[in-house]
Amino acid sequence: MVGLNGVTISVVLFGIGLLGLVLRRDLVVKLLALGLVNSAVILCLVSLGARPDGAPPILATPAASAIVDPLPQAIVLSAIVINFAILALALVFVMLLVERYHTTDSHRIERASAAEED
Amino acid sequence: MELILLPLVRFLFGGLSTASARAARAFAILALAVDAVLLGRLALALARGAEASLVLGGWERGLGIAFSGDQIGLTFAALIWGLAVAVLLYTWRDDLRPYFYVLLHLLIGAAYAMVFTKDLFNAYVILELLTLASFLLVGYGRRPRQIWASLNYLVLCSLGMSLFLLGVAVVYYHAGTFDLGALAAEVAADPSAPWVRLAATLLVGGVAVKAGVFLFSLWLPSAHARATPAVSALLSGVVVKMGVVEIFRLSEVFPLEPTLLVLGFATALLGLLYAIQTRDAKRLLAFSTLSQIGYLLIGFGAGTAAAKLGALDYAVAHGLFKGLLFLAVGEAARLVGTSDLRTLISNRNAIPRATRLALLVGILGIVGIPPFAGFAAKSVLESALHPALLHAGVGLISVGTVASFAKLLPLLGGRSTGRSDRARIAAYGWLATAIVLFLPLSSALVPRSILSAACWTWPAYLETAVVILLGLGLRRLVRDRPFRLPTAVFRIEEGTLVILASLLLVFCLVHVV
Repeated sequence: MVGLNGVTISVVLFGIGLLGLVLRRDLVVKLLALGLVNSAVILCLVSLGARPDGAPPILATPAASAIVDPLPQAIVLSAIVINFAILALALVFVMLLVERYHTTDSHRIERASAAEED
Repeated sequence: MELILLPLVRFLFGGLSTASARAARAFAILALAVDAVLLGRLALALARGAEASLVLGGWERGLGIAFSGDQIGLTFAALIWGLAVAVLLYTWRDDLRPYFYVLLHLLIGAAYAMVFTKDLFNAYVILELLTLASFLLVGYGRRPRQIWASLNYLVLCSLGMSLFLLGVAVVYYHAGTFDLGALAAEVAADPSAPWVRLAATLLVGGVAVKAGVFLFSLWLPSAHARATPAVSALLSGVVVKMGVVEIFRLSEVFPLEPTLLVLGFATALLGLLYAIQTRDAKRLLAFSTLSQIGYLLIGFGAGTAAAKLGALDYAVAHGLFKGLLFLAVGEAARLVGTSDLRTLISNRNAIPRATRLALLVGILGIVGIPPFAGFAAKSVLESALHPALLHAGVGLISVGTVASFAKLLPLLGGRSTGRSDRARIAAYGWLATAIVLFLPLSSALVPRSILSAACWTWPAYLETAVVILLGLGLRRLVRDRPFRLPTAVFRIEEGTLVILASLLLVFCLVHVV
């Protein structure tokens, strides 16, 4: 049951990522946790399409053998690219925030930006 | 064919704007003209009764990405086009970097794709594209607090979209398709299967983060209030509505009625409480966006076809008047230098006459005075809500809306000394015309018989009058009793926790069916 194991691991990773998002105040760590959450979902998708004894989904494979489902593999490529773009842009914005507030602590930034508004 | 050209042409113009910064404005006009031609052709095809659907990728339906053009999609595409025109007019005199236009094309192209797509994974990709484009637009001014608001937005939306993608995975594992039509058949075969409930929870919970449902979208007030006015108008009018469109599509597939009713009332009431309490004009508009999303969810949750049409009609109307209000309040706040309501009111003479007129039309539109947009849409929605309790609940929300917008009325007093430039006036005029003409325009979506039976009746007039009187009374009551509500929930950590808690709530609610 390789597929099920992949799903289990992805649930655990998802949970760790969520904990990181909620408990850690450092923005860089928070973004790493977000990356973990996103990767867990990708792992989950790939594992759902996997088969324990499946051949690679290539046209030359003999028709009789069971192949791995190619569709999840195709769509996670888009998801990986999107998550990469999000992380990269978010890190640029963290850089801009550090330039202004000289900290990566989310509570301090929150207080400072709220104080600016009043 | 038009269905796929609409987004692609926009992406092409976005690319061109990076190539030639000097022509960016001309490209924006050209893109609007091309859009108008394509939308016109689509409208003609639909009027002829032609089937306007498309499956991409060279596969048969079920594997390829399905797009389908229907009246609902066309109406929303027209709303997106109208708001794009208004934003272009409003920013005509502003000195904007070409990168603004690139993002604008990206946002509008993605929104066009969103209203026509019938494929779950494609919806995920488009929603992420919308997130990225609006994230960069919120941070466009490069003010630190804008950047902080947009980073919050990005993190929470990315988490929401992860949940959505998990839902997509569950759907694919059990139904073997991403196509909403094929999925509807699978769900109809066994609507109480455990995987259906799990998928519905994850999909609705994920998209609710983007759609401005109160418990999920705690990033919204800061992001909408801190962005520049043109961007706020697009966020409230277009981006949030795309999440709502996806919730509508999901509500056609999954049995979600009680869930959406509960979420709708929670969103509407909490949004109103915060709107009545806030002392900032732009935050007031942002909170009222939340409360109006509640109306839409109640309409989807009521279950009848007429209520759904009424809710979609209201979504279009809300896009128009909230766009106008954000533009007008944004200009007033820029002239006075703050969006704090008390300072705005004491400096109200600086607000130009055109801006005041735009504010007045926007407020009349949202409050629902007879010929204006809010009245038409609200009447259609309310006349389709059958249990009297539901109807009364929606009436209560309308009272709250009046009470919260009565706070903006003092801005209209005094003598105006400032002047708006012509481009701004043109933008206001464009949106205000659409709000005034909304009733005949909305017959494109709602059948004429329903429209006239719901709107031109004495009970509808009477109800509007009672709601407005009660609302003004409520305003008088709470004016001297300021109350404070918790603001810690708008922090990023608490926001994450609240999303997870609400997801659990939705999971319990989908079992109530």
